[in-house]
Amino acid sequence: MKMDSGKILAVDGLVKYYGTGENQVRAVDHTSLEIERGKFTAIVGRSGSGKSTLLHLIGGLDRPDEGKVWIEGKDIFALKDDRLAAFRRKKIGFIFQDYNLIPSLNVWENIVLPLGLDNRKVKREDVQEVLEKIGLTDKEETMPNALSGGQKQRTAIARALVTRPAIILADEPTGNLDSQTELEVMSLMKSCVTDFGQTLVMITHDEMIAQMADRVIEIADGKVVSD
Amino acid sequence: MKMTTRVAFDNMKYYKNRNILIGITIILTTMLLFIVPAVGRGMLEIQFAVTDRLYPSWHALYRNVDEETARKLAVHHDISKFGLRSDAGYMNLDEASVVMMYVDEAGMELYKMAPAEGTIPRREDEIVVSPGILKELGQQGDIGDTVTVPYQIFRGGELDLTQQKEFRICGFFEDSEDNYEKRVYTALVSEAFLKNEIPKDEIAYRFLLQIGDEDKPTTDEIEDRIKNAAEQFGIPESEININTDYLLANYVDPAMVPSIVLIMLIVMLAGAITIYSIYYVSMNQRIREFGRMKAIGATKRQIRQIVLREGLCIAAFAVPAGLLIGTFVSREVIEWLLKFTDSEAMEAFAETAREVLADGEVNLCCWWVYLLAAAVTVCTVYFSLARPMHMAAKVSEVEAMRMQTAGKNRRSRRKGYEFLSIGRLTLRNLTENKKKSAVTIVSMAATGVFLMVVATVLSCADPRESADNSLVGQYEILPDIEEYNKEHPERKWSEIQKDNPLNETLRQQIEALPGVERVDVFSSLRVDGDVFSEEEGNALNGIPQEYAKELEKGITEGKVTYEELKTGDKVLIDEAIKYWHPELKVGDKLNLRIQDGGRTFNKEVEIAAIGDYRNGLTNFDYLIMAKEAVDRLSEYNSSRYFHVIADKDYDQTLEKKLQDIINASGRMSMRTWKAEYEQWRTALATTRGASYAFLGILAAISVMNLINTMINSVHVRRKELGMMQAIGMSDSQLMKMLQLEGLFYTAGTLAISVGLGSLAGYPVFLYAKKHGMFNISAYHYPAAAAIVVSIVLLVLQIALAAGISRSVRKNSLIERIRFSE
Repeated sequence: MKMDSGKILAVDGLVKYYGTGENQVRAVDHTSLEIERGKFTAIVGRSGSGKSTLLHLIGGLDRPDEGKVWIEGKDIFALKDDRLAAFRRKKIGFIFQDYNLIPSLNVWENIVLPLGLDNRKVKREDVQEVLEKIGLTDKEETMPNALSGGQKQRTAIARALVTRPAIILADEPTGNLDSQTELEVMSLMKSCVTDFGQTLVMITHDEMIAQMADRVIEIADGKVVSD
Repeated sequence: MKMTTRVAFDNMKYYKNRNILIGITIILTTMLLFIVPAVGRGMLEIQFAVTDRLYPSWHALYRNVDEETARKLAVHHDISKFGLRSDAGYMNLDEASVVMMYVDEAGMELYKMAPAEGTIPRREDEIVVSPGILKELGQQGDIGDTVTVPYQIFRGGELDLTQQKEFRICGFFEDSEDNYEKRVYTALVSEAFLKNEIPKDEIAYRFLLQIGDEDKPTTDEIEDRIKNAAEQFGIPESEININTDYLLANYVDPAMVPSIVLIMLIVMLAGAITIYSIYYVSMNQRIREFGRMKAIGATKRQIRQIVLREGLCIAAFAVPAGLLIGTFVSREVIEWLLKFTDSEAMEAFAETAREVLADGEVNLCCWWVYLLAAAVTVCTVYFSLARPMHMAAKVSEVEAMRMQTAGKNRRSRRKGYEFLSIGRLTLRNLTENKKKSAVTIVSMAATGVFLMVVATVLSCADPRESADNSLVGQYEILPDIEEYNKEHPERKWSEIQKDNPLNETLRQQIEALPGVERVDVFSSLRVDGDVFSEEEGNALNGIPQEYAKELEKGITEGKVTYEELKTGDKVLIDEAIKYWHPELKVGDKLNLRIQDGGRTFNKEVEIAAIGDYRNGLTNFDYLIMAKEAVDRLSEYNSSRYFHVIADKDYDQTLEKKLQDIINASGRMSMRTWKAEYEQWRTALATTRGASYAFLGILAAISVMNLINTMINSVHVRRKELGMMQAIGMSDSQLMKMLQLEGLFYTAGTLAISVGLGSLAGYPVFLYAKKHGMFNISAYHYPAAAAIVVSIVLLVLQIALAAGISRSVRKNSLIERIRFSE
């Protein structure tokens, strides 16, 4: 499949089924879509619609039964596990609902972890810039257990940003936050797209958040129903 | 089922992996706790049964007892049964040795002797012989036939001149293979013959006795009574011979029980430490669970019961399994031990032991051993659970519910690394769980240290060194000497000196043999006088210049050079003499009566120094001079030993050639290094095999700990590891991280085990040397054990990390990221 230079991600005929026979769940069912560079795309759908599975497949966390995913023109499932992991840490930034910080590492270490895994040198200024952007400059040495929910999620955002990935995938990043914090985190993420020119794909079932996106894709029963 | 038991049972199933490890630990512990007493008891029972078959049943005998004393002893209140034996003399045969002894009926019973045919001799000319004796005599005959016997009567401590007499055969003994092989036999003569040949007041009896055992005395008590009775009748201790084998076989040895108890305590400790540590490591993970239970109303007591019963549920499966395996293994171990004792020296024992086993005379399964092993294991489980029970009961409901992983005093800030690598990530995790890492390492190292200490002792016990200690060079050639035989006065050393087969011609002949480097000649002169009684005497060793350094190095008190020992006025004495004569000290003068050829003369010598020497050098004599000095004191050839130094420890051709020379002379015999070595090797191989097998199982118990710690450390971090993989940690990086963690435990365990074990090994070696264990003389670092332990631990840890990371990968990344609790 030839990709338009404006497109950063292409999904073609993606299939992922769980179970067999009567118990078969068609989590992703022949889904194709393209995402443009530097845009904020929201994927919405009801609980169990298959949006999380789609995101995991796009991020290379799971392998599909059929179909392909290209990121910056690279067929990611053509890569072996170890190469795929390396690709992930270079090109994809993840943000999860329950933050998933490493409890034994402080804020700074959590942020620079993807760089460490990639054996990349840490440029202090770059990391500082990200910390400033997310407003955690005074929390560098704080351990995750001493952070509030919003601070934890901001740390996770910083971790996703620090490698300057091609695309950031966020799985209901505000699901565990109160409405005030939710707003803060969302505006932070939105500004990443504008300030750093990042591409953001976010799963949500919150209408208000979807309104902030440049594009909204709706998923039902594993299929794209509106775009 | 009670609720607590129900919950405990469900918990056992839920925490399957960890409980399998605890189960294996309990199985191994039970197995050892069973095998140690079962094999100990089994071997003893076999030994007892064999002893009962092979050994006479007298408890002790007193030598040189006259008839009058024997009559008085017979009515002593401690003596329940007695018999008499007296050796009248020997048949005069060239090669074979046939003792002619009188034994009364009670004595026959105590000796378990009985003619296979016929009766015991009553008339003066009656005799019981064996087919072997007739063959040696070159005569034939049956019961009632007459044989002519040349014999020497034992009179006044010496064999008298040969006489000849016709005896009528009244019975036959059976010959054993040993009789034929060694050509040593026993003939039985009558009391009338004995009294006819030897004047009544000159007859020396051996008084055989059994001590009354109505009050079930221990071996020590029996020995005390034996010595006590002897003392009352003025019988010196040197004339008492205690039948230790028989006593140990039939009465409890008080020293036996503590050593078995000690070994079992060590096993208990290893098991308890491991089980405790396995619980400790995974306790944090379960804090929430116990908190929840308390929140819904479980009391502290109930929580404690749940933890205890979970442990006991595992024991309910593991203990019977351990006992079952132990039953099979202990039987194998016993058979294996018997195979090892199957050396030439122990042939009769091993053979009878197999007979005893095959006849089912010894029952290896004994109910109290099962009960003991099971009870001790359950106690071990209980002790190891005491602290986890307390910890679980102490959990606060709120705290436990709130925290994912309960940890006190968690820091909220910490300086970190600017840059993270896999190594640093690993270090972070380990330092976060300092106490857990320490518990694992210390508990594994405890076994490691013990292993190294035992290995030190075993590695110091070197059959090569033991052989070197008992023999100088590879072959020792010496003349056949018999000091007390009137028939062969020419066999006295002083006589042999006049026509010594160890002469210059022989030395040159041996030195010319291929493979011989040189022959070191040791001289010797018999001495008595001063502290050496006329009967016992001793010898003055003349040691050649080649051993000057060894002599000087061995000095422990005083100072003397080899040059000074050449003067003939100074002697060096072996430390061993102090056992008999503790009063001797450096500077003392000894007035010795020296025998040389036919002449004797007195000489005063000064004790210049005291030293500690190997038996090969001193040949169990105490006085040492330079060879030059001893040769100067002698007018004859005083060469007593030819020590052949060969280029190889064992050379079949050379040994054959030397043996030919010896056989041709007919007046010499030879000891070989190889025979000494074999003897030590067999003895040590058994000990070593048994010890290492025991240590191996002990090590396996503590390895369960490592497995648990690593599995647990991955299990509680499953989500965290999944997270790291989601943001880009590759499988090989994950593997590397787990390897590094394992390596940390391995390195820590090895550092303590090898480091502390080596340090602790040295004093234990000194103790073993001082107490003469395994003839240990030099310290050897147990390098082989250290290397094997290191390699095994490393390989195990690498395999473990690989296995664990594979099992982690079995779940998809998604599953792992979603995983909580």
